[in-house]
Amino acid sequence: MHRLAQELRSILGPRGLIDDPTKLLPYESDGLAMVAVPAELVCLPRDTQEAAACLALLHREGVPVVARGAGTGLAGGATPVANGVVVSTARMRDILEVNPLDRFARVQAGVVNVDLTRAASRHGLRYAPDPSSQMACTIGGNVANNSGGPHCFKHGATTRHIQGLVIVAHDGEILDLSEPHLDPVGYDLVGLFVGSEGTFGLATEVTVKLVPTPALDEVLLAVFSTLDDACDCVSEIIASRLEPSALEILDKLTIEAVEASVFAAGYPVGAEAVLLMEVEGAGPEVEGTSRAIRKIVDRHSPLDVRSARNAEERRKLWAGRKGAFGAMGRIAPDLYVADAVVPRSRLRELIRTTIAICHERNLRLANVFHAGDGNLHPNICYDRRNEEEVARVLEAGHLILKACVEAGGALTGEHGVGLEKLEQMDLLFAPHDLDAMCRVRDVWDPERRMNPGKLVPLRACMELRTTRLEHKPEGIA
Amino acid sequence: MAHLEEQTPQPLASEKLLVDYAKSLDCIHCGLCLQTCPTFRSTGAESSSPRGRIHLMRAVGEGRLTLDAAYTEELDLCLVCRHCETVCPAGVRFGEMMSFARNRRESHSPRSFPARIARFVGLRVLLPNRIALRLMGTCLRFLQLTGLERIAVHFGRLGRGLSDLPRIPPLPARRLLPARIKASGEERGQVALLEGCVMPELYARVNRATARSLALLGFTSHLPSNFVCCGSLHAHNGDHAGARSAARKMIQALEELGDGTLSIVVNSAGCGAHMRSCAHLFDSEDPWHARARAFEKRVIDYSEFVDRELQDREVQLTAPALPRPIAWDDPCHLCHGQGIRSQPRSILARVQGLEQVQLSEPEACCGSAGTYSLTHPEESRAIFERKLEDLEASGARTLITANPGCQLQWESGIRRVGKDTAVMHLAELVQAALLEKKS
Ligand SMILES: Cc1cc2nc3c(=O)[nH]c(=O)nc-3n(C[C@H](O)[C@H](O)[C@H](O)COP(=O)(O)OP(=O)(O)OC[C@H]3O[C@@H](n4cnc5c(N)ncnc54)[C@H](O)[C@@H]3O)c2cc1C
Ligand code: SF4
Ligand code: SF4
Repeated sequence: MHRLAQELRSILGPRGLIDDPTKLLPYESDGLAMVAVPAELVCLPRDTQEAAACLALLHREGVPVVARGAGTGLAGGATPVANGVVVSTARMRDILEVNPLDRFARVQAGVVNVDLTRAASRHGLRYAPDPSSQMACTIGGNVANNSGGPHCFKHGATTRHIQGLVIVAHDGEILDLSEPHLDPVGYDLVGLFVGSEGTFGLATEVTVKLVPTPALDEVLLAVFSTLDDACDCVSEIIASRLEPSALEILDKLTIEAVEASVFAAGYPVGAEAVLLMEVEGAGPEVEGTSRAIRKIVDRHSPLDVRSARNAEERRKLWAGRKGAFGAMGRIAPDLYVADAVVPRSRLRELIRTTIAICHERNLRLANVFHAGDGNLHPNICYDRRNEEEVARVLEAGHLILKACVEAGGALTGEHGVGLEKLEQMDLLFAPHDLDAMCRVRDVWDPERRMNPGKLVPLRACMELRTTRLEHKPEGIA
Repeated sequence: MAHLEEQTPQPLASEKLLVDYAKSLDCIHCGLCLQTCPTFRSTGAESSSPRGRIHLMRAVGEGRLTLDAAYTEELDLCLVCRHCETVCPAGVRFGEMMSFARNRRESHSPRSFPARIARFVGLRVLLPNRIALRLMGTCLRFLQLTGLERIAVHFGRLGRGLSDLPRIPPLPARRLLPARIKASGEERGQVALLEGCVMPELYARVNRATARSLALLGFTSHLPSNFVCCGSLHAHNGDHAGARSAARKMIQALEELGDGTLSIVVNSAGCGAHMRSCAHLFDSEDPWHARARAFEKRVIDYSEFVDRELQDREVQLTAPALPRPIAWDDPCHLCHGQGIRSQPRSILARVQGLEQVQLSEPEACCGSAGTYSLTHPEESRAIFERKLEDLEASGARTLITANPGCQLQWESGIRRVGKDTAVMHLAELVQAALLEKKS
């Protein structure tokens, strides 16, 4: 590794390579703190050219590569792999172009989601996907995970907003797919790349669609005395074909944590659940939809319904929701965020199931989720130092996913598969499905050196077992 | 000087004592703090991020990491701006954790001999001693007048930092405030006022403006005579013994001032933030802990105090002559350290005819950070670059702040690039506006 480090340093400059073991330590985990694998080296290229030179060298040496944005991923996607090198986009933060006339922006992959939104807002535009981690996560990470966010209920997840990419392939070849066309000619390679979790190559530049900031947005908060009521209310709003821009539920434990944190939003402490809703658009449209929503809410015995009075109140209500996961850190040393999708007509039933599963295993659970998309996020409290508890958490996570898939849902709503859900892929896919995925992967990366051991199960690809969850509970195949 | 001798690292019952392990467990590794961290933004290295630093502390606590050179480097590189605390949803108390870790690092893994000499002279000789500080002020002024400071540039980091200092005013302009400054007109109340350690040498005019504006608002200021430095720089740099000794002197002096209950008005955000949390320096059984707690409650920032007065009396102010528009920049230890954001803005909003523009990132650190601009001049400048770009984009011609360190950083940075944006302390503006109103 020493010689490799020297060669990489000559490409990336003295500050572009980290090889000190102490300085490498913080890279051993991403947002999934229960897994840690040491990185051998971390490369910090500044642009596509440097990244390409770097990947070409790693190709020559046959070294596995893990791309990393801000490391906020919750599925272990950015966790290093054994004997692998991490390529981080943390020094690729330039906003290359904002084109308000054609409504797109071209940015380096390491640009932070919220910085892009800020740049666009100067032109009355915005980048719609707004993961709760938007103040930290990168556009490259969003692309790789096809991330969602509260507003994706109306606007769709990342993939609907990506118009072009510059990709550095496994061997260092630069693939420029950055023409801002709405409808790609030939195969939609950009569409294929989005959601590939770093297994197809490294995105270095991203062209995103910008949408106008709505003329009006109204934020409503409904308070319920049971979580069931909140869930049923959402199911009915969906069934009524109403289209608010966001529908989010927070349960009691989450409310308490948020209200105790720097993101205190004024949610009523003691309520069993709150439903946070946003309606956006032109004046009359917003009014009409809000009125219709309020009628539905009233049928589900709310304790209170109110609408934010001004921009500051709206900001606070959202900040509370977006800080919810972190605020849970006040309650537990660590937090496991499961991520599953269920049919929206069955929210109440599946939330009950998750509660029962955690209850049986004596685990503390908080539910805060993108209800509008049926995207559940059971947050399970644990302590990464307690192996036995980690095992119980993983088991609960597995059973929750299983229940959701059996109910007709999906394995992941937005956090990706990464390392975390690898073992569950065969709940949803038959061997020949997984086999097909491997063949697609092989087209992009025949050596399977890009983020190996992630996304597609090892068995299917018959790869070397380079990485796996450290504490696998009994009974998980 | 006994403690300067080479120490052998003391064996510890548990590695956990090397860091505040319990506090490090509050971090859930979510990464939300990364992008607000100035050192992460400038290096891109996660070891230079809040989450990374906590990860390293935790590794030390778990015995996986020794206090090696890289660990020290990352601790030193941190500005303790505490921006990470503002955005951390899990309520991680980063400032306290860092102060603890730095303290343990100093005592268990001593620095090189010259570095220890420099620390000793700076923290233990200079700061607590008015005469030494005066002498230093005079020496610096001599260097600046003779142009010798330009030679200092060739003497390593510290020399480069020194050459960045603003002009030291002549001695008469550096005169100390009298022990009592009477309210002008009818007295509405009395307060205790601190001059600070370095302030009188660099910004005696800010102290005068503070006292004068309080007088104009009807307050008599009392100045304690028998202590100099609050110890925030000591705590910041992990010298807890020095910080405790400074705190004891300060608490005692202020208990003896007036009837011992006067509100303590502070015009330096860095000092104020420290004074409001100095009890954690003492064990809870130590009688000084309780005294420090009582002391903490008396501390009030200048902007809080003035805002309250102006609001209670519905005073409107008139803008004095100054280059416009103006922009407000939040000192880290005011917004992140003390949670004070609205008060200075509300004061500014009261000044009629004051054209204002906004910085896009007013809460981002300017890179001053106590002694940081002296110990890490290159990094400090790199961090300042962003602020300068922000200032230029805003179009402001006067920048208002409320902390001597920030004022210094802005003044020297603006001078370095040959700009003419004026820099003012909030108290200077308030004084001018109150005088404007009178005339
Ligand atoms: C508090 C919190 C809230 C969150 N809320 C949401 C939410 O609301 N919605 C949501 O969808 N997610 C959410 N997440 C998960 C996470 O923030 C997203 O998955 C995000 O997109 C990850 O971005 P990142 O820059 O941190 O990427 P990383 O975590 O560094 O990487 C994620 C994956 O992308 C790959 N990758 C990164 N950059 C590139 C690149 N340039 N080219 C190719 N591959 C790359 C990595 O290899 C990895 O597989 C949340 C996380 C946290 C901690
Ligand atoms: S935001 Fe807080 S909890 Fe999250 S990584 Fe940073 S310090 Fe840790
Ligand atoms: S205190 Fe400031 S410099 Fe230090 S880790 Fe926090 S944000 Fe970064």
